[in-house]
Amino acid sequence: MSTSTTEAPAGTAVRRGRLRLDGVRKSLGGKEVVSAVDLETEPGEFLTLLGPSGCGKTTTLNMVAGHLTADGGVIEVDGRDITGTPPHRRSMGMVFQSYALFPHMTIADNVAFGLRMRKVAAAERRRQVDEVIEMVGLGGMAGRHPRQLSGGQQQRAALARALVIQPDLLLLDEPFSNLDAQLRVRLREEVVALQRRIGTTTILVTHDQEEALAVSDRIAVMADGVIHQLDRPSEIYLRPGTDFVAQFIGEVNALDGTAAGPAADGYACRVAGVTVAATPVGEPPAEGADVRVYVRPEVVRVGAGGNGLTGSVRETRFLGSRIRCVVTTQAGTVTAALPFDAEVPEVGAEVTCAWRPSDASLTAR
Amino acid sequence: MAAVGRVADGALSRSRWRTGLLLALPAIAIFALLFIAPLFTLVANSFRTQTGAFTLGNYERFLGDPFYRGVLWNTLKVAAMTTIGCLLIGYPFALYLRGRSPRVRNWLALLLLSPLLISMVIRAYGWLVVLGPNGPVASVLKWIGITPPQLLYNDTAVLIGMVHVMLAYMVLPLMGSLDRIDPTLVPAAKGLGAPAWTCFWRITLPLSAPGMLAGAMIVFSLTASSFVTPAILGGPKVKLMPYFVYTQATTTLDWPYAAAIGFVLVVVTTGLLLGYARLLRRGNGDVVFG
Repeated sequence: MSTSTTEAPAGTAVRRGRLRLDGVRKSLGGKEVVSAVDLETEPGEFLTLLGPSGCGKTTTLNMVAGHLTADGGVIEVDGRDITGTPPHRRSMGMVFQSYALFPHMTIADNVAFGLRMRKVAAAERRRQVDEVIEMVGLGGMAGRHPRQLSGGQQQRAALARALVIQPDLLLLDEPFSNLDAQLRVRLREEVVALQRRIGTTTILVTHDQEEALAVSDRIAVMADGVIHQLDRPSEIYLRPGTDFVAQFIGEVNALDGTAAGPAADGYACRVAGVTVAATPVGEPPAEGADVRVYVRPEVVRVGAGGNGLTGSVRETRFLGSRIRCVVTTQAGTVTAALPFDAEVPEVGAEVTCAWRPSDASLTAR
Repeated sequence: MAAVGRVADGALSRSRWRTGLLLALPAIAIFALLFIAPLFTLVANSFRTQTGAFTLGNYERFLGDPFYRGVLWNTLKVAAMTTIGCLLIGYPFALYLRGRSPRVRNWLALLLLSPLLISMVIRAYGWLVVLGPNGPVASVLKWIGITPPQLLYNDTAVLIGMVHVMLAYMVLPLMGSLDRIDPTLVPAAKGLGAPAWTCFWRITLPLSAPGMLAGAMIVFSLTASSFVTPAILGGPKVKLMPYFVYTQATTTLDWPYAAAIGFVLVVVTTGLLLGYARLLRRGNGDVVFG
């Protein structure tokens, strides 16, 4: 959670920008794209809407920005109902995937646009524009036109243009997707650092799960117009609440079994005759109910003896940062991603696959 | 190794250049034969007497005569008004088409092009009927109780007829220009606090300048050199430059003078369009041709 108030530029009001969506719906072309989305951010939070294309994340963002009007539900910022407010009367700094810089204006004029609309006096406008251009690392580029800048520089300019109006919310619509891999990572680190510094509540829309995990305070995983799970990145990763969340983010071992009841640490269930434990997401299932256990490869420990699923090692593969170890157990194939310096079992060796119950999730099937 | 590579590169680019030139040769030949040669012939002719001797007399005769200067002025006026008329009707139309589905766009574009599918003469006579003293326009005006004004054989009639034909030449480049504008620019401007009108004025309009420029150039030059529509709808009172080129060439058989009138029109039109392009370019940075 970003609560840092240090180094905030003069005039920036931190600790505002509490966004609340209540039952927001939207249909486009006769199809419901967003169905009853509820969401509430903390001021200064970096929240990501993560999901595949067509999941409704961009539509949700556009409703927050005001480019689309919600068919139902309420959108509030700091307690003000803005559901029907046109975009130009909201205070949203939006950054688009295509950068959306005005090609016929210089970078300085692009950045000054929002201040001009707010009738900020020329001298003050120039001061603020210079300051924010400097802040995003584009000093000396103010007089250039967008097409004279690289993709990364254009995206910085777009960010400066969105930030200079000191918006209630910063809305980022796939802002890094058009950049090459290296630059994408560097720019996103910069954006996170900047966001932490100025404390503007930020909503990022992305389909890139790694990006979401890296930058977010919380992630809302969306599919088919609904939020499947809204939680901290580590929760989303280790304890996925739905099959979609488990499969969409990274690799997962999904084990089907029946609920056996609360255990000392977590909740026990029987998988292929073996008792394993995990942490239930939401309401714990009734005893005897069909459940599914999700275990990430990184949390699986492979060893000789102990409690857990047993089986023989089918293959091991060195992947650089991790060693991938596939074990055929009585519950099916279990994949483990062992740390670089782990003791790697021989292929064919009999091993036990175990994990801490708090590192795996359990959901009703 | 590198040096060898460079030499080979040089040879390659030279031979490539030669291949390119050879491939372009037919096009260059056709262009020279069909466009440059006639223009030279025209210019050469305009500096001759009927017997073939060199003279500046044709230009003296044209520029020294207030009647001909008036004709030139009127031609440019009709062309300019047609251009403005096409822009005023065509811009909202192009803007409307921008947001439509491809189906609707295709049908409306076909409708827009439909006047071009009919013979110029038939189309002009159609307007003659519509705007005539017993035509539907006059009848409606009479029915309301207004004495219909003279609708035919004046600048207004020519203007109406020309705008009808020329509209497509304005709308098509405008559509192209509007389509090239990134659709997220207007939302971006709105998000920064710009109301719809400001978005149009500061984003859409300046970025569609290339289309306006192209459309205006085509409409202006085609109108200034059009013959049939002004001749039919303008009647005996409205005489534009092309009419005099025609009469000098066919009735008086004074080809050099016809050439001079034609060339004056070419020079003046080109000069005006260049000035107009420069004006637009200055107004919008260098994005006009970007």
